[in-house]
Amino acid sequence: MNPRFIGYFAWYYGFFVIKRGPSYLVASLSLPLTLLFMVGILSHGNLISFALIGGLVSIIASNCINGAADAAFFRLQIKIQDLFVATKITPGDYMMGLIMSYLVFSIPGIVLYAILGLYWHVFTIGSVLPIILILIAVTISISNIAFIIAGSMKHIRNVWGITAVLSIVMTVLPPVFYPYTFLPKIALYVLSASPVTPAAVLLQGYVGLEQLNYTTNLMVLILFAETVILTILGRQFIKWRE
Amino acid sequence: MIEITDLHKKYSRNFVALKGLNLLLDNRVSTIIGRNGAGKTTLLRILSTQLYPTKGTAIIEGYDIIKETRKVRSIISSIPQEAQPIGILSPMEQIKLYLIARGFTAQQAGKEARFALDELDMDEFRNSPSDTLSGGMKRKMFVAMALASNSDVIFLDEPTTGLDPLSRMEVWSAIKRLKSKIILTTHYMDEAQELSDFVAVMDQGDVISRGTIKEILKAFDGKMRAERIDGETYDIKVGNIAVKYIDKSKVDEFLRMGYDIKQVNLNDVFLTRGMNLES
Repeated sequence: MNPRFIGYFAWYYGFFVIKRGPSYLVASLSLPLTLLFMVGILSHGNLISFALIGGLVSIIASNCINGAADAAFFRLQIKIQDLFVATKITPGDYMMGLIMSYLVFSIPGIVLYAILGLYWHVFTIGSVLPIILILIAVTISISNIAFIIAGSMKHIRNVWGITAVLSIVMTVLPPVFYPYTFLPKIALYVLSASPVTPAAVLLQGYVGLEQLNYTTNLMVLILFAETVILTILGRQFIKWRE
Repeated sequence: MIEITDLHKKYSRNFVALKGLNLLLDNRVSTIIGRNGAGKTTLLRILSTQLYPTKGTAIIEGYDIIKETRKVRSIISSIPQEAQPIGILSPMEQIKLYLIARGFTAQQAGKEARFALDELDMDEFRNSPSDTLSGGMKRKMFVAMALASNSDVIFLDEPTTGLDPLSRMEVWSAIKRLKSKIILTTHYMDEAQELSDFVAVMDQGDVISRGTIKEILKAFDGKMRAERIDGETYDIKVGNIAVKYIDKSKVDEFLRMGYDIKQVNLNDVFLTRGMNLES
């Protein structure tokens, strides 16, 4: 583990993207904020808490899944990954650096949603720690999906299309902007293939929008298992030394 | 010293990129030249521990690339073919990040990065985002990266591909200032002639000729290359260009026949592969 490299990579590729390419930040916030507005209007404000908590997950998840394009671009197009292979860092350091950069890039969105959540009294003191843990799990698991996609690509040309589709499928379809209880059980389990679904169910439970019950307990296990499995697979797919 | 022994690389679909290559590289600047697809990049990626060979190995400064990967990585720098900077970062930031990955402290990295950029006359662009730099400047930034690393061995894979003549000369000048042992690949024969102490000529996954440029061109002593579109006298035809290797005494005769007369260079090593020039 090389924390110095991870820290610098996260700072350079997280903060400097915000500073020097603010349009990326606006783009990453536009979909969740639009959906927040839509959900607020259509539900007459009744589901605004769900859209707020969902937007928080959605911002992180979409930033991380879009990381597939970065990882593929770094490996296939500009050869930055090759450059780092012949150094002292491990693939784990490189992956963690990228993951942390997505987290840093997500900070403005997290802060915005935290302010909105406090304004609408969505968050409680007791829910802060579970929220942080859940968001970390989402960051790690979705980033590893990004590494799996990036590592599977032989050409760069399709990666932006694939990530755009996955971003919608993984961050809008799951119950992030609406109560998970609206979904039939079978659909909930199918959508649990995306770590965003268990994360959204847990967040709705921990902030008190839904009851903590058997389903939320099951979702803890699913989110944990997906995070571990995806991390192992991500490491296999990164193609450090081919 | 780099000692390559019986190096094979077979990709999927049975494409053989290296066919049991044996080579000793012990000069300050050694150049691997060859056409596209000759196996140069595969060789460099294996030597710089980015790719596993199918069979065989190489020893770099006493360390085995398979068994002592970490030690090899601590003494080499490798600039991949077509490497491009992360556009949003400045040369200073990119070099610093690379040096931190090599184990430098942030302070050391900053100092070495500044020195290398200054050394290569890039100080003016030190803090400009890389996507505002010209193609030549971007490549020079990678050479500065290699310079700052203070590595024992530097691999440069086609460092000037796609650059205009002036940018190429700028990169050559930067490469000449590196003090490490350099292994570079190129398909530009003039680049090999400009930079190299030793040349290995690769074709179809194997080395077909090696030595100094003078040694490699020894077979052409006293010869000139005569070329003419649709010429009737030739040793070899490239497309519709007839190429004939002639003694210098026959230059006038071939000029009268409408041939262009050219100096022999490393390109001719490929053109004449398998031919007996004496005949």
